[in-house]
Amino acid sequence: MPVLEVTDVCVAFGGAQVLSDVSLTVVEGGVTGLIGPNGAGKTTLFNVVSGLLAPKSGQVKIDGHDVTKAGPARRARRGLSRTYQRLELFTSLTVRDNIQVAGEIRNTWGRRGRIDVGAETDRILDMVGLGDVADREVSELPTGRARVVEVARALMTQPKVLLLDEPASGQTEQETEAFGRLLRELVEERDLAICLVEHDVGLVMDTCQHIHVLDYGVIIASGTPDQVKDDPVVINAYLGAP
Amino acid sequence: MHLLLTYTILGLVTGAVYGIAASGLVLTYTTSGIFNLAQGAMAMLAAFTYWQFRYGWNWPAPLALFTVLVVLAPLLGIALYVVVMRGLRQTADVTKIVVTIGIMLGLIALAQWIWNPGVPRTDQLFFGNAAKFKFLGVYVTDHEAIAVGCGVLIAVGIRLLFTSTRTGVAMRAVVDNPALLQLNGGRPERLAAFSWALGGALAALAGILITPISGGSLDVHVLTLLVLDSIAAAMFGRLRSIWLTFAGALFLGLASTYVLGYFPESWEWASNFRIALPMIVLFVVLIVLPQDRLRGATLLRTRERFTVPTIRSAVTWGAILLAVVLLLEQVMDSSDMGSLTVGIIYGIIALSLTLLTGYAGEINLAPVSFGAIATIIVFHLGLSGSGLTQRITLWGLLLGIAVTAVVGGLIALPALRLRGLYLALATLAFGVFVSDMIIADIAPHVFPIFHWKYSIFPNGTLQIPALKIGPIDLSSSKTFLTASTCIFILIGIGLIALRRSNYGRRLTAMKDSPAAAATLGQNLIKLKLSVFMISAAIAGLGGVLLSSATGSVSDTTFIIFISLALVMLTVVGGIGNVAGALMGGILAGTAFQALTSTFTNLSTDHGGGGFWSVLSNLSLVAPALVGVSLGRNPSGAVPDIVDRYRPLWQAKGVLLLGVMAEIVAYLLVLTKVMGNWWLVLATGLIAIALPAVGRLVQPEAFVDPVKKSPGRDRPTTAPVAMEVVVESVADARP
Repeated sequence: MPVLEVTDVCVAFGGAQVLSDVSLTVVEGGVTGLIGPNGAGKTTLFNVVSGLLAPKSGQVKIDGHDVTKAGPARRARRGLSRTYQRLELFTSLTVRDNIQVAGEIRNTWGRRGRIDVGAETDRILDMVGLGDVADREVSELPTGRARVVEVARALMTQPKVLLLDEPASGQTEQETEAFGRLLRELVEERDLAICLVEHDVGLVMDTCQHIHVLDYGVIIASGTPDQVKDDPVVINAYLGAP
Repeated sequence: MHLLLTYTILGLVTGAVYGIAASGLVLTYTTSGIFNLAQGAMAMLAAFTYWQFRYGWNWPAPLALFTVLVVLAPLLGIALYVVVMRGLRQTADVTKIVVTIGIMLGLIALAQWIWNPGVPRTDQLFFGNAAKFKFLGVYVTDHEAIAVGCGVLIAVGIRLLFTSTRTGVAMRAVVDNPALLQLNGGRPERLAAFSWALGGALAALAGILITPISGGSLDVHVLTLLVLDSIAAAMFGRLRSIWLTFAGALFLGLASTYVLGYFPESWEWASNFRIALPMIVLFVVLIVLPQDRLRGATLLRTRERFTVPTIRSAVTWGAILLAVVLLLEQVMDSSDMGSLTVGIIYGIIALSLTLLTGYAGEINLAPVSFGAIATIIVFHLGLSGSGLTQRITLWGLLLGIAVTAVVGGLIALPALRLRGLYLALATLAFGVFVSDMIIADIAPHVFPIFHWKYSIFPNGTLQIPALKIGPIDLSSSKTFLTASTCIFILIGIGLIALRRSNYGRRLTAMKDSPAAAATLGQNLIKLKLSVFMISAAIAGLGGVLLSSATGSVSDTTFIIFISLALVMLTVVGGIGNVAGALMGGILAGTAFQALTSTFTNLSTDHGGGGFWSVLSNLSLVAPALVGVSLGRNPSGAVPDIVDRYRPLWQAKGVLLLGVMAEIVAYLLVLTKVMGNWWLVLATGLIAIALPAVGRLVQPEAFVDPVKKSPGRDRPTTAPVAMEVVVESVADARP
């Protein structure tokens, strides 16, 4: 069953049409890829889904609830969480506090489902492999590891859907491999629905069950990794007409 | 009909002048991202300079106008940009605002220094009062016609500049993305300097035009506030659209003359209302403005750095502060004690800023005005007894604080969905409103049915007695000082505990990245509202204490410039530290006053020696200079001082020596061998000497502090900066 449903979303900045009638679904227990050349509108779509940007038209549903009119905080409470392509870490806090504060925000949602923030922080630090830098200032980390902090922070709210915006950019090859393993683990053990924007083809092909290709604000192809890989429209979008 | 036309023309003239000043604001804001609160002070300075040339030295009007408008004002604009504003990149909003406040206060002090406020000066209309013509049966002076003409020319001119010239289009690009503009061959620096020159000239024109219209007499504060009113017009245009800015300006001008003309004479408050109108309009505009997009943190960190002490060290420092104050009480006379008390109470008000700005990143430009609200509540509802035995009751104090918190919440609520700058301006509007309407409400109103007589601020002065809580009576100046110090320490420790709690972490998260905090599920409005209310409550408590320490309060106690000076000095001290609040408060309440009076006394003692009077004037300008220098060290003075003295912990022997020397000096003063000022001098000398001696005796303790604490003020790495540029280019693809 789809946890995230985007239907016919349109966005225009001034006269420029950035997204036209974009529809996609993300199902639980799987990784859905969203790929496309730079400037295709992937981050804009994430901003629409997470409530930072109001679409001109269209609908966003999280876990069956229509949240098109809701603000970012209400969507988070419905089970949405995300990371940012341009890092949005809390730069005056340590790595541990960055993750812990997300749990503390989670506990302001209401009595139901309160979590033991301290224990959960330790568990997630351990799971994503940030234990050794837990007490460092987050601004001291290299970009690759800082992106992992964002993922860990996003996990603290115990989301149903996780949007990852280029989580592997700035990571070394080993870091990317470890990151791929982490994603598969999350999907299998937690039944999480993940939507992944990524340029690292290897990571996308290895982890995604389903891929949407966005170009100039239009979904030009959808399907399994193998279908998308050989689609002439996709090849054309990336490499230009043969 | 005839009357309506007269008022309409007068309104259009005022509106045109507001429009000219506001377009200058919009111009500098769009190109440099800095909202220039000093615009009014620049206009004021230009009006005075013009007066000097035209009437002081009898220059012909065209020459005087040319010198001010084309030469001096643009030069001032360029100088401000090159010397000050350029250094503000990557600083927090509050730093940018505070620097313009510093310039405002500096220009005001400068004008009062050059032009003795005791001497009356008046400007006349261009071509004199007789130069007028008949328009639709109404006399219009040439001056008024010129003002409207200038307004129209400038509105059209700026609009054309923005849309039809290369320079103008580039100017609009600067604010969106200077890095990208530079990549495309633009010169953001030169454009910004150009816009500041233009902004300076527009401010000057507004100042010169409005002075004769509004009566002709030149007053430093009145002129500064008059042009500050144009902020409301700039808000109309959402700091972007020149058309809407002028539309807002005309609305303001017309509304204020219609109020003057058509409100019944029996409404005594109408004239106050007219003065306060621009600020009321500003507030209404803030309510109806559509919501901004949530701002994410920029990838490059702002340069402000604050460390949070542990509760234990906070308690230790609190005990040390209390001990120092108790020791000082033994040697101080009561007037010195009084000014130290006022300083520490200003420190308490400044703590409200530490919480709001330092921890949560929001700005309040009128903390003292919130203190005024609490004072008024306490005066009307919180006193018991009469005459010399009259006291503030605990319940009265608590009521005053509670009402202030609620008022704070109501003021902040409409601005919370908007960017931080708008909340700052809403509080500024509130502060001016409190001065113009609430504190100016001195004559009694009579309620029609019950025949109650009532005024909010009877006769313009309120007598506020001392506080009495159970057995603790603060009527003696010594107890008052001790109590104020204890309250400061308690609130300070409380704030540090708050900062270390989950609430404080959530505040920090919101400050660092509102977008990320919101997408994690934080209700930002609720959080901002709660922190603003707590902060207003602290300011309210401080305000009541301040009034009680002063004994009698009047409009000058709560004038907006005092709030602005306090905000500036707190940022100078360090807005993220409790110690910074203490420093800001003491500077505001004690130090500069003491400094000025010392110099003034010296100058009278030495038969008006020019040198000392120059120094005393300079010490008035000094706070502003300190504020302006913030660009270089945006974290404030306290972190700097801490860094300088930290190595002394390693050099314990030297530290002990210093403490011993200080004790000896204190004992000498206590036994009246030396006078009080010697203690100040000795303390200063010891403070300066300690690090130097430490360096001589134990050089190994004094290795470069930057190396010892990695990560502090480390410049962002070049690859990251490059990434921004690359991403900007990528984003710009259509």
